Amino acid sequence: MPMLQLEGLGKSFGETRVFHGVTLGLGRGEFVALLGESGVGKSTLLNCVAGLEQADQGRVRVDGRDLAQLDDNARARLRRAHLGFVFQAFHVLPHLSVAENVALPLLLLGRPDAQRVLQVLDAVGLGGLGARHPAQLSGGQLQRVAIARAVVHAPGLILADEPTGNLDPDTAARVLGVLQAQVQDAGAACLLVTHSATAAARADRVLRLTSSGIVDA
Amino acid sequence: MNAALLRSLLGREWRHHPWRHGVALLAVALGVALAYSVHLINASALAEFAAALRSSQGEPDLTLRGGSDGRDGFSDALYGRIAIDPAVAAASPVVELDTYALAADGRRVALQVLGIDALRVAPLAATLLPRPAAHESRLALIDPDNVFLNAAARHATAARDGSPLALQSGPAWQSLRVAGSVAAGGPPLAVMDIAAAQQRFGWLGRLSRIDLRLRPGRDAAAFIARLPPGVHAVAPDAAEQRVTKLSRAYRVNLTVLALVALFVGAFLVFSVVSLSVAQRTPTFALLGVLGLTARERRQLVLAECTLLGAAGSVLGLMLGGVMALAALRLLAGDLGGGYFPGIAPRLHVDIAGAPGFAALGIFSALVGGWWPALQAERLSPALALRGLGAPESHAPPLWPGPLMLAGGVALAFAPPLFGLPLAAYAAVALLLFGGVALVPAGVQGLLALLPAPRSALMLLAVQRARFQRRTATAAVAGVVASLALSVALTVMVTSFRHAVSGWLDTVLPADLYARSAGSASAAAQAWLDPAFVHAAAGVPGVLKLQASRVRALSLSPGLPPVTLIARPLEPPAATLPLLQPPRAPAAGETGLYISEAVAALYGVKVGDVMTLPLQTLHSARLQGRVLGVWRDYARQFGAIAIDAASYRRLTGDNRVNDLAIWLAPGAAVADVQARLRSLLPAPSMVEFAATATLRSLSLRIFDRSFAVTYYLQAVAITLGLVGVAASLSAQVIARRKEFGLLAHLGLTRGDVVAVVAGEAAAWVAAGTLIGLLLGVAVSVVLVFVVNPQSFHWTMALVLPGARLALLCTSVLGVGVLTAALSARGAAARSAVLSVKEDW
Repeated sequence: MPMLQLEGLGKSFGETRVFHGVTLGLGRGEFVALLGESGVGKSTLLNCVAGLEQADQGRVRVDGRDLAQLDDNARARLRRAHLGFVFQAFHVLPHLSVAENVALPLLLLGRPDAQRVLQVLDAVGLGGLGARHPAQLSGGQLQRVAIARAVVHAPGLILADEPTGNLDPDTAARVLGVLQAQVQDAGAACLLVTHSATAAARADRVLRLTSSGIVDA
Repeated sequence: MNAALLRSLLGREWRHHPWRHGVALLAVALGVALAYSVHLINASALAEFAAALRSSQGEPDLTLRGGSDGRDGFSDALYGRIAIDPAVAAASPVVELDTYALAADGRRVALQVLGIDALRVAPLAATLLPRPAAHESRLALIDPDNVFLNAAARHATAARDGSPLALQSGPAWQSLRVAGSVAAGGPPLAVMDIAAAQQRFGWLGRLSRIDLRLRPGRDAAAFIARLPPGVHAVAPDAAEQRVTKLSRAYRVNLTVLALVALFVGAFLVFSVVSLSVAQRTPTFALLGVLGLTARERRQLVLAECTLLGAAGSVLGLMLGGVMALAALRLLAGDLGGGYFPGIAPRLHVDIAGAPGFAALGIFSALVGGWWPALQAERLSPALALRGLGAPESHAPPLWPGPLMLAGGVALAFAPPLFGLPLAAYAAVALLLFGGVALVPAGVQGLLALLPAPRSALMLLAVQRARFQRRTATAAVAGVVASLALSVALTVMVTSFRHAVSGWLDTVLPADLYARSAGSASAAAQAWLDPAFVHAAAGVPGVLKLQASRVRALSLSPGLPPVTLIARPLEPPAATLPLLQPPRAPAAGETGLYISEAVAALYGVKVGDVMTLPLQTLHSARLQGRVLGVWRDYARQFGAIAIDAASYRRLTGDNRVNDLAIWLAPGAAVADVQARLRSLLPAPSMVEFAATATLRSLSLRIFDRSFAVTYYLQAVAITLGLVGVAASLSAQVIARRKEFGLLAHLGLTRGDVVAVVAGEAAAWVAAGTLIGLLLGVAVSVVLVFVVNPQSFHWTMALVLPGARLALLCTSVLGVGVLTAALSARGAAARSAVLSVKEDW
C-alpha cells in the first residue's frame, strides 16, 4: 500500500482554479521531487496532503487513511504520528534547546526517548550541540535540526518545502545529503518541493505540477 | 518629527488595533476622570463651606472670641470697651450657640442660634439682619419673643411666619415665634435679639464673640495686644482654614486613591505600547535603514503616547465632571468623611485646574511609554530586518528592582512632609515599580520550582514562559500593580474594620444609650438635668446607669475644639480602649486620658501635664496629667476623657449629656425607653439607641464609606486583566508562524490553546504572587504609616486570608481564562496562512 495516494485532486480559490486532476502514489523509501512554476499550487498541494487544507475534488490517503473522513483533531493526530515537515525558513522554536526541538514530536506522541534524540542529532552531524539554543546555530545547522525533528519519530511521509532555499550551495548540498540519508534509513516516503534542479537531481523521481495535473519532468 | 510621517504611521497602527489603543486611552481617561472628579468634589465642598461660614459670620476684619471652646465667651462688659476703642470703626456683639428646634412633626432639628444686635449687625454681616415678615411691626426684630429663620431652618422645621417655634435650652424648651427670615445661607440658622438670647439660653452678661471692623490705617497687632487675657482675635477665615487644614489629609488620601486608576493606566499604556513596538520592529528597522534616526524612533513612540494621553485626558475631564456631579447629588461633599457637616454643595467647575489634570494624564501615558520608546530607539535596524535583535534582546538591568524596593522601605520610615504622608506615598510607588521590575525574576524563580516537563505541551509552555520572561513584565505589569493595590486596600480596610469593631466592643459596654445632643457644641445647650438622671436610675428595668458630660474645648485657636468627656473611668483600662496600661496618678493629681488625635495634633504624651481652658471652682484653668492614650475612631479632632467624679468635684458642673444604661435581666429595651422618655419634659429631648443598633449602624456607615474602594479595586483589576488580554492577543498575532508550525507538528487547536494558557498561567501566577507580596507590603505602609500620619489613629494589621486567597485565585483564574480566549482566536486562524510565506 502506498504511503501517500492522491486521486484526481483538484483545488480552486473562488473562480481561480489552482490545479485539478492530480494523481500520485508514493511508496515508503521513495524520494520524489516536485517542480513547478511559482503560483502553480505546489504549496496548496502540500497543504492538502498534510490535511491543513481541504481539496475541492479527489481524495488524499495517507498510510491508507482517507483524510476527508477525518475531523480536525484526527488529522492533527495523523500528522503527529505519520508526517514530518521541513520548511524553507527552518521554523525551529527559539525558546527550546536543539535537543528539545528535536524531541518535540516524540513528546507529542507520549514517547520521550533521549537516546533516540541523541542518535538522530549525531546522524545529522549535530552531536554535542543538543544543549544549545537556535540563536547559537548557523542556517545550515538550523535546517539540520529541522530535518532531525522531521525524522526523529520515524514518520512514514516527509514533506519538504524548498529546504535549501535559504542556504548557500555547499550547505544546501550537505543538508540534502542528510535528508536523503535519513529518508532512506527511516524507510519513509519523501515529497520534496523545489525550484532547484540540483536538489531535484537527488530524487528517485522528478515530477512537475501543472494546472492540469502532475507530469514527469 | 515629520507630522505627515507621524500621521501615516500612527494612523495605520491605530486603525489596525483600535480596541487595544482604545483600552489604553480609556484607562488614562478613567484615571483622569477619577482624580478630577475628586478634585471638583473637594473644591465644591470647601467653597460651599466657606460660603456658609461667610453667611453666618459676615465679613469682619477680626472676630474676638474667648472661653473653653472659643464660644464660651466673655463678659459683655468688654463690648463697651471695644466699641469705643479708637481703632474700631464698627463692632457687633453676638451670642452664638448650637441647639435644637422642635419641628412641626415633633422631631428635634439641630440648628445654630445667633443672638445679634439688629442695630449693629448690618455693616458687618448684612445677611444676618432680620427681615420681618410682611405683617410684622418694624420693632419685631428686637422683640424678645421673635426668631428669624434662614431657608434651611424653615425647610427643616417646617415653620412658617407667625408660627410658634420651640428651641431647646438645657432640659427645657423656650417658646418663640417665627417673625421673618434672614438671608444667610448654609445649614439651619435662627437669628434673634441678643438680649433675648442671653436671657433665654443662660448667657446673661456674656457674649460669644464680637465681630469688628478696624478703622483704616489702624495697627491690628497693637489692637490685639490690648485685648484682656482669655480673649483672642481670629481672622474671619480661621474656621475655613481650620477645616481646610484638617480635611487636607483626607482630601489628599482621596486624590491618591483616585490616582490609583491612573497609575494602573500607566502600566496598561506600558503593556500596549511595548507590544506595539515589538510588533512594529520590522517597520522601525526598515525606517531606520531608510534614514529615520534612533532619536526620531523614540520621539515617534513618545508622540504616540502623548496623543494617547491627551485624548484620554480630554475624555477623562468630561467624564470627571459628570462623575463629580453625580457624587455630589448621591453623597455628601466629603464623600462620607464627616469634615463638612451640614453642607450640600453644588458643583463648582474648576476650569483652571483642568489643564493640570490633563497634564497628569499625558504624563502617565508618557511614563508608560518611556521604556518601549527607549527600546525602539535602541534597536539595530540591520539585525532587526533579519529577524534578529528585536527590542527584547536589550535586557533591562537587574539592579533597579531591588534598589526601588529598598528605597520604598527606607521612605516608609520617613516622617510626614507638610503634615502629609507624602514620603509614604512615594514609598508605595517605589514598592510597586520595584515589584513590577522583578516580574521576570519572579517568573524564573517560579518556573524553577517546577519539575522537568515530561509532556510536549508542558515543555512548550514552560520553556517559552521562561525564555520570554522579560515580555512577561509587559504582560502582567498591570496585574501586579492592580492586584497589589487591591490587596493593600483589602488588608487596610479589613484591619480598620476589625479595629473599629473591637473599639465598639470597648466603648459600648451597656445595653442602651441615650444622648441629649449629637455634637459636643450642641451639648452645651442640650443637656439633661441631674434630677432626671437620678430618677432614671430608679426606673424599673434599669440595672445600672452611667452618666457622662460632653463639652467642646478649644486647645488652640488654629484647630477645631476637642471633645471633653467626663465619665466614670474606674478602672480606665476596662472602660477606655487604651493603647497601653495607664500610668498611675500621683496623689491629688487629676488624670487625663487623651485620644491619639490629641497626642498627635498637640504633641502631648503620657506623663505630660496638660492645662485645659476649663473654668473650675477655683481657677480659670484645669490642670491634669496625661495618664493614658486611647483609640478613638469617632472624634477625628481629638477627645480627652476625665473621670466624672473628678470633673464634677473640680468644676461643680453636674449637667449630663449621655447615659449608658445596663438593663435588668428580662427587661425589654422598648419598655425602659418608654419609661425614661416619660420622665423628660419632651419625649424627643433624648435620642435612644440600643447597643446592637449603634454597632450595626456604625459598621454600616463604615462599610458605606469604604464601598468606593471596592469599586476602585474592581476598576484597577479589570484594567490589569485588560492589559493581560491586550498583551497576549498581540503576542498571539506575532506568534502566528509558531502556531502554524505546531499545527504542522500535529498539535490540535485545543493543544495550542493549552500551551498559550499554560504560558499565561506561569506569568499570571508569578504576577499574582508578586502582587500579593507587594500588596501586603503596601498595606503595612498604609496601616502603620499613612493612617497615623493622615488621621492620627493606629490599628493592628489584620490579614484576611480567605479574602486574599479568593482575590488572588480570581485574578489567576480570570487571567488564564483571558489568555485562553486570546489564544483561541489565534488557534482558530488557519495554520496554513500562518506559514504561508514559506510554502
